[in-house]
Amino acid sequence: MITLNFPNPMGEEGWGLWVALYFFLAGTGGGAYLISVLYCSQERVRRAALWAFVGVVLGSVLLILDLGQPLRFANLILGGVYPSSVMWLGTWFLLLSGAGLLWVMARPTSRGVQYLVAFLVALVVAYTAVLLTATARPFWNASPLLPWLFLASSATAGGALLQLLAPHERLKRLVVGMALVEGLMVALHLLWTYPVAQGAVLALLVGPLAWAFWGFVVLGWGIPLALERRHVGLAAVLTLVGAFLLRYFVVLAGQV
Amino acid sequence: MPNPNDFAILFDASRCIGCKACQVACKQWNDLEAEHTRNAGGYANPPKLTASTWLAMRYYEGLRPDGEPYFDFVRGACMHCTHAPCVASCPTGAMAHREGGVVTVDQSTCIGCRSCVRACPYDAVHFDEERGVVQKCTMCYDRIANGDQPACVKACPTDALTFGRYQELQALAQERVRVLQARGYPRASVYGLKELGGTHVLYVLTDHPSQYGLPAAVREAEKRAMGGWLSAGIAAAVMGMGLKFIVDRREAFKGGRG
Repeated sequence: MITLNFPNPMGEEGWGLWVALYFFLAGTGGGAYLISVLYCSQERVRRAALWAFVGVVLGSVLLILDLGQPLRFANLILGGVYPSSVMWLGTWFLLLSGAGLLWVMARPTSRGVQYLVAFLVALVVAYTAVLLTATARPFWNASPLLPWLFLASSATAGGALLQLLAPHERLKRLVVGMALVEGLMVALHLLWTYPVAQGAVLALLVGPLAWAFWGFVVLGWGIPLALERRHVGLAAVLTLVGAFLLRYFVVLAGQV
Repeated sequence: MPNPNDFAILFDASRCIGCKACQVACKQWNDLEAEHTRNAGGYANPPKLTASTWLAMRYYEGLRPDGEPYFDFVRGACMHCTHAPCVASCPTGAMAHREGGVVTVDQSTCIGCRSCVRACPYDAVHFDEERGVVQKCTMCYDRIANGDQPACVKACPTDALTFGRYQELQALAQERVRVLQARGYPRASVYGLKELGGTHVLYVLTDHPSQYGLPAAVREAEKRAMGGWLSAGIAAAVMGMGLKFIVDRREAFKGGRG
């Protein structure tokens, strides 16, 4: 038996930095592709597909390395059919969306194919939230808003990534709109879960995770919103930092 | 509902003296290492279940609203649920029901993703850092499959633990609750009859389950996941169309002016 544990600041039992990073990579890349399919021109779609592919592949690598038995990762695919397991569904979404993105990237494809791949990518982004919602941890499961939050954040971060590569007026409006939705969702989720997950919410507001939470609010959300008009590049970079911090504090707060 | 002939354990809190013989017997039979712990201000030790502590007693003390003191003990371990969230969340089939309704993890196929650790409402599944797989109570499957009792049941000196077939133990539990209610425990109840499709470990309690730190309303992992997918679908539709609408409308305004 070969054991290959990836260092994890939470202790190895927890879902920590690597899972948060993987949610961020898959979310941001996926968000960029979703935004480009829905609102951008053909050539942008193919470039965004590349970024989404990188995100999905890097994320999958992190996911595998974070396993207690990374060399058995093939059990995820060959072990059987378990549709009640969100982790199993997510593995297939990752695999199928990766293949789809490769296809979109490799050669010009029809709108229909791009929308089909977008559906798979949306499932990947949503799965990162549903994985947490399906657990027994009150901070994750007490409110139905985690999928809303992760989808909004993915759209914001994906839009910011596209902005960074090629600024566009239309994208700017999208990013600002989605950032406002994201902020609203964070606030609503905290209010909703407070009665049953006081410890987690307090850890975010004033406790050991306050740096990540307020770092997101100020650095990753407030400042980019204020800078969006003048320094698009800086705002985009900060938005990406914020998207990571958001996933980090959500993942850790559920395990306080 | 568990199969009437399934294996089951009955824990009777009204008979428990909190001696931890079950906890020690579990460690001995399953060859689980001792842990370095600190005094956490209570009698529970270790304070929570881990990969090498599959059964640990929890202790609750204080004053009831009427001023009467209480000092209650409860068994903390896997409940072997019929609709077990750990089984539902396992992506490889390593965590599964065995014959007789017992939930165990196959250590040769577990990949160590820790989904089950997050899924369990009883905090009964834990990650073994050395082996890279998860560990939990097996209801001493190696013993019960050979006609013996689980180690914890065998060690109990006050008959607070009973091992047997589900149907018999369910009847025994309900009869015991009737006796307790007649003896001045109006809140006595059986825990585990409805939770997660019925658990194969039943508790007779003298007070409300929350008094013993037991989750009162637990939902199946499948239902939680379905709720999550539904919420995600609505979110994607609402936000996608909302954005499209806003962007297109703005564009139309611009076009009209330009």
